[in-house]
Amino acid sequence: MLVTFPNMGNVAFAARALCQGLKIPYVMPEKNNKDTLRRGSFYAPEEICLPFKVMLGNFLECIEKGADTILFVGSCGPCRFGEYCELHMKILRRLGYGNVNIVVADFSPEIGIDALRHRIAAISDKSPVGKLEKLKAVKNAMIIEALCDRLDRIAYEMAGYEVNRGTCKRLMYEYKAKILESKEPDETIAMLRGYLRKFGEVKTDLSLDPVKIAIIGEIYTVIDPFSNLYIEEKLMDLGASSSRMLTPTWWVKDLVMKPVKLNSPNINRAARKYMPFPVGGHGKECIGEAVLAAKKGMDGAIQILPLGCMPEVISKAILPSIRRDYSFPFMTLIVDEVTGEAGINTRLEAFLDMLGSIKKRGGSGRKHNLTKMEPAGSLLRRCANEADRKELFFE
Amino acid sequence: MIIGIPQGLLYAKYHVFATTFMKEIGAKTVASPTTNKSILDEGVRYCVDEACLPMKVYHGHVAWLRGKCDAVLIPRFMSIRPKEHICPMFCGLIEMVSNHIPDLPLLIDTPVYSLNRDRMLIWAKYAARFLTKDQKTVDAAFDKAIMRQNDYKPGINDEGFPAKVALIGHVYNIYDSFINMNLVKKLNALGIGVLTGEYVPGDAIEDEVRQLYKKPFWSLAREYYGAAVYIRKTKMADGIIYLSSFSCGIDSIITELIKCENDEFPFMVLKLDEHTGEAGYDTRLDAFSDMLKRRKTKFARYVS
Ligand code: SF4
Ligand code: SF4
Repeated sequence: MLVTFPNMGNVAFAARALCQGLKIPYVMPEKNNKDTLRRGSFYAPEEICLPFKVMLGNFLECIEKGADTILFVGSCGPCRFGEYCELHMKILRRLGYGNVNIVVADFSPEIGIDALRHRIAAISDKSPVGKLEKLKAVKNAMIIEALCDRLDRIAYEMAGYEVNRGTCKRLMYEYKAKILESKEPDETIAMLRGYLRKFGEVKTDLSLDPVKIAIIGEIYTVIDPFSNLYIEEKLMDLGASSSRMLTPTWWVKDLVMKPVKLNSPNINRAARKYMPFPVGGHGKECIGEAVLAAKKGMDGAIQILPLGCMPEVISKAILPSIRRDYSFPFMTLIVDEVTGEAGINTRLEAFLDMLGSIKKRGGSGRKHNLTKMEPAGSLLRRCANEADRKELFFE
Repeated sequence: MIIGIPQGLLYAKYHVFATTFMKEIGAKTVASPTTNKSILDEGVRYCVDEACLPMKVYHGHVAWLRGKCDAVLIPRFMSIRPKEHICPMFCGLIEMVSNHIPDLPLLIDTPVYSLNRDRMLIWAKYAARFLTKDQKTVDAAFDKAIMRQNDYKPGINDEGFPAKVALIGHVYNIYDSFINMNLVKKLNALGIGVLTGEYVPGDAIEDEVRQLYKKPFWSLAREYYGAAVYIRKTKMADGIIYLSSFSCGIDSIITELIKCENDEFPFMVLKLDEHTGEAGYDTRLDAFSDMLKRRKTKFARYVS
């Protein structure tokens, strides 16, 4: 059995660490690239959303390298994501890969906990290691995910404050390259902690006061840099500071907390006025984050969605009301396989220019709720200490 | 009080219930006219560009009702069967409408969670609260409305045409002859009878759906998939036309699932949006009808 998994931002790193810990052979998917997408969209139905196409491309690449088992997560609607696996299976079968097994970890109550256990057992039975070791592998994978997300978050946010432009980006690239070299989850964790420390040493100037942008929108496209045309890295280059709440770590937490309705209470509260009912996907989160960002005193937000994404279309319809109520500027970026990079760059620069000039004029007249806002420096100062904290994930 | 009922989306399916119920509790009702050019234009103006055509049309209907009624009935369909969903767009419809159309009257937007009797009765009580709080009136109105609704059996099953196609897709595409550019009439003129999904027995649909790895969690999608596969298997019709709208997430999956099942059987997806040109549409219909007839004669030759 040769396992593989879709590549979605840092998730692949965690999945890789899991396989390492369980001592199961795996194929690491390539970094998403144009070929992945080209191949995926060639075989996928034309009108399906972008994440499906990229993932299909991932799978095909890995299957060619010999993978025969795909790890995947599922859900039960109302959005299309829950139907992905069915369609992936059909397409793979049609392409003659009927022997490939897709193991769907579906957490929805409709499927039932037994089925879930059964499916997970199919993988874990193949692992030669003992029970304790398995648990440790899962825990390590989660810690790695949390560390990666934290590092990214620091990098994106700190980029606006760095004295030497490009330091954060370099560090980020460095750690991502190093993960792929490490053979042991423990080794990876130590390395990542080291990088947290390194970020703590980056020279920053808190008086720079860069433009601060919230990244909101559909979860796959905000998390996967390739799908959003590396927008966060572009913002880093332009000297802006960006932050987003949706990360794989958040996703897992949300999943665990949902049954007891304790998932992201702040987001839900903020969204209630504009979207009292959930619309599937992460439409409600998008609205909630926009409101929170406006209240926190960020300068603007960029909504990223794949073409035809239903929940985000609804959010897009509601965002103008938030713009009006908080005079909070937005930019919407709709991505699909033909989105051109050149057009994005000009739009992004224009948007930043606009935000910059609003800032210079002394803000949009919006009442900044500064007490609620995290002081810009605190995150930076914290990261050095965080390197030594153990349970990052459950903080 | 005058209640406006927009003639879009699931109106085609449940209007009997809605109208009867509102009348029985003492309201006057006014429905928007069947879709026309100006309604479509209004809808396109008010709705987000990325939404599907039926949503845009619905916006047009709501906009038309402004000033002609005291309240508009827009039930928020969260789901119509337990543990299933409709479409995300339905869940957020109220927000889209209320954020984009100015000068709206009161919206009766009570959510619908399931179409079983108990849940609907709760819905009815809540939706009626502006008009009457009297339990008996509501109950009586509810029973009458349910009875009428149960008597109402939409669906097309033409007999006596040389060929027959099954028309599968959302009711608001199939029964709105403006959006689908008189599809049924056009097919009839080509000598093709039409059969709609309502004529496929419910348990047959269940059987087909059970073959899937995962049961689709969209109630409507489940029906369309099951109906299409059943029709193909039993040859209830000579071909299938799936009437879909651009940027409909549900259709993009369902058509693909049907297609995978389907290799030989004539199957065509017609996609609608506000830019669909009538000429190209007619050409595709002609081609499809030719193909059907050719297949039929070929088939007849084999048999004889
Ligand atoms: S949230 Fe959007 S992108 Fe994700 S599956 Fe749903 S429609 Fe597709
Ligand atoms: S099912 Fe499709 S056509 Fe109907 S409202 Fe949803 S997206 Fe639009």
